[in-house]
Amino acid sequence: MFNLFKKSKDHIADIETNSNTIALKVEKGKTLLNAALSSGIAWPHKCKVGSCGTCKSQVLLGDIKAQIDFGYVLSQEEIEAGYVLACQSELKSDIKVKIKLIE
Amino acid sequence: MKLFVNARYLIVPVSSLLTIFGIILGGLLAWVGVFLFGVYTIIDTLTKDIHLRAEKNQDGESYGVKEFQYVVMYIMLPVFILLQIVLAWRLFQFTSGVGIEPLQIGVLNYQTGITLTNLIGATLSTALWAGLGIIYGHELSHNKKEGFFVSRLIMALSGSAHFTYAHVYNHHLDLGHEDDPATAPRGRNVYAHTWLSHAGQSKFSYDLEQKKLRKQGKSTLSFKNKWIIGYLYSLPSVFLFVWAGGLYGVAALITVWAISNFLLEALNFMGHYGLIRNPGEPVEHRHSWDNDNVFTSWFFIEIGRQGDHHVRGETYFWELDDVGAPNYGIGYFSLFVLTLIPPLFRRFVKKLLNDWDKNYATDAEVSIANKFKALGIQS
Repeated sequence: MFNLFKKSKDHIADIETNSNTIALKVEKGKTLLNAALSSGIAWPHKCKVGSCGTCKSQVLLGDIKAQIDFGYVLSQEEIEAGYVLACQSELKSDIKVKIKLIE
Repeated sequence: MKLFVNARYLIVPVSSLLTIFGIILGGLLAWVGVFLFGVYTIIDTLTKDIHLRAEKNQDGESYGVKEFQYVVMYIMLPVFILLQIVLAWRLFQFTSGVGIEPLQIGVLNYQTGITLTNLIGATLSTALWAGLGIIYGHELSHNKKEGFFVSRLIMALSGSAHFTYAHVYNHHLDLGHEDDPATAPRGRNVYAHTWLSHAGQSKFSYDLEQKKLRKQGKSTLSFKNKWIIGYLYSLPSVFLFVWAGGLYGVAALITVWAISNFLLEALNFMGHYGLIRNPGEPVEHRHSWDNDNVFTSWFFIEIGRQGDHHVRGETYFWELDDVGAPNYGIGYFSLFVLTLIPPLFRRFVKKLLNDWDKNYATDAEVSIANKFKALGIQS
């Protein structure tokens, strides 16, 4: 609860897409998916509550803060390989993430 | 405007505190919770035609203050715990044979001890407000880890900690389809729905844990199982009521849990009754009923804006808006009264469902609706 009152710190997500790399600023408290959608990036998504897995993406570098347990949607192998649910991920550091965008 | 927008969502917190205060003072005031429920049903019915959109400032931002609303929602956990404690205290007085005597404390009339009639009033008051408090369990289930945990604890006070997982991983994904136990198909009444939805969600939550733990190579029978942990969270309530009231305590807790879960499932029932989604198709605004007259919106912290909520599940309640979803045209309190009389509810909803089939449903959804009609289920 006290996290709500901490000073905000933004981070950068370098998004490796099918064709190029996009640098995205992600404000503290905002999820990776919402930051991407606000910037007009066509990140695949459906439920936005962490249950469908459509926004799944692979974090190659850096740390995220998972808002929920990914273990219900992602397999153990996927979690170990760095896959996250973008709709339930805040950034703890600058990251590099790989995603296949909607074309 | 900012003060108004934030303060208007305090109806339930203030009413819960009044209910607690009434039980503490005793006598006829133990019925305050029931009385308020009746008053609010009248207000909701009288304001059925008043609708407001979500207010925004010139920059398009909501006036809602996240920190304030979260503090209120978190504070509701100790409030609901206190509600159970004061009822248990009255139960203890009743079973201990404490004499019933009026006592003047300043301007307040406190009654020592409690009669069986007023104990029933206190139990019903507790049950209704524990049930209405589920709106916080719902809202927090969609938010960050801390909120999710508080949601589990709030729901555990009604013996329903499984709800938090089932709501997010089942209801939001499978809405409008037979895989979602919380969606009431056409022809079902609210009483049957309460049992089927509650048991279905609990089973889903168990299966979810079993699947996750198997993937991790762990045993289902472990303290890693959130379904088991959820029910353990409810044990303090059980111990409290058994200790305070023995068999009377058991009866009181069963009453509180039965009514609070009935209210929870009635909300699920009303939110999606009879609406159909073709499997595989995304959840759209048309798959939920809106109940967004002004009193329902403020009282139920906008939970009635189901159309928007199910498409933007991550959105804070104060930002939800009218998105043109099908609308009952009356508030939750009024509709709840109708659902209590199934033939009346089905007559009321028949025209609305026909309108949905005609103006909202896709061809595939109409085809599923026709299967119900072929069975003689019109609404």
